[in-house]
Amino acid sequence: MNHYSYKDIYVGQEEKFCVEITEDSMAAFCKLSGDENPLHVDSDYAKSKGYQGKVVYGMLMASYLSTLAGMYIPGKYSLIHSVEIKFHKPVYVENGDRLLIRGKVVDKNDLFRLLIVKVTIENGQGVKVCKGKMQIGVIDEE
Amino acid sequence: MTREEIFDGVNEIFRDVFDDEEITVGEDTTAEDIEDWDSLEHINLIVAIEKKFNIKFTMGEVTGMKNVGEMVTIISERAK
Repeated sequence: MNHYSYKDIYVGQEEKFCVEITEDSMAAFCKLSGDENPLHVDSDYAKSKGYQGKVVYGMLMASYLSTLAGMYIPGKYSLIHSVEIKFHKPVYVENGDRLLIRGKVVDKNDLFRLLIVKVTIENGQGVKVCKGKMQIGVIDEE
Repeated sequence: MTREEIFDGVNEIFRDVFDDEEITVGEDTTAEDIEDWDSLEHINLIVAIEKKFNIKFTMGEVTGMKNVGEMVTIISERAK
């Protein structure tokens, strides 16, 4: 876990990490959220609707933005204020895709100790599957 | 910049932040008049206003503003 204080962080700073979406993580998210929509749990159904297989929950991918803030930027002193995200392309669990989650600080507001972070999620082929923006507060480290 | 021009800019920001084209703020408008105006949206308003008018508020000003009229007064003094 990073321990960046507000003053440590600069506009342009970037943090990134990889995750693998597995059948286990899909099943865990299904149980946690109660979302049993067949598009996410039934490969045959998803294929019948024109997808390559079970579509990874968008909100499962978005949950890694919590990790981005809470573990990487700023890490320990994070408090998420808002998340805006768009899901541009489907991600399939069958591919065993590794996702690259990336955040870049594009602005800071000193008054509110607030970071504006542009976020992207890329699949294993380097294609952006999600794009968004987060407002992340940096709480006092003392 | 006239007070009216500042109100036009402030109204534009309120409509954008609260995603409501019907909003028109006046001198006496307060958070009581806009249902979604909570502390998080207050931050969004201040950040957007600072950017639009190229000014900086102090924490005392942000917490001490009683209504939109006071906000506009601070902008008019700062944006000269």
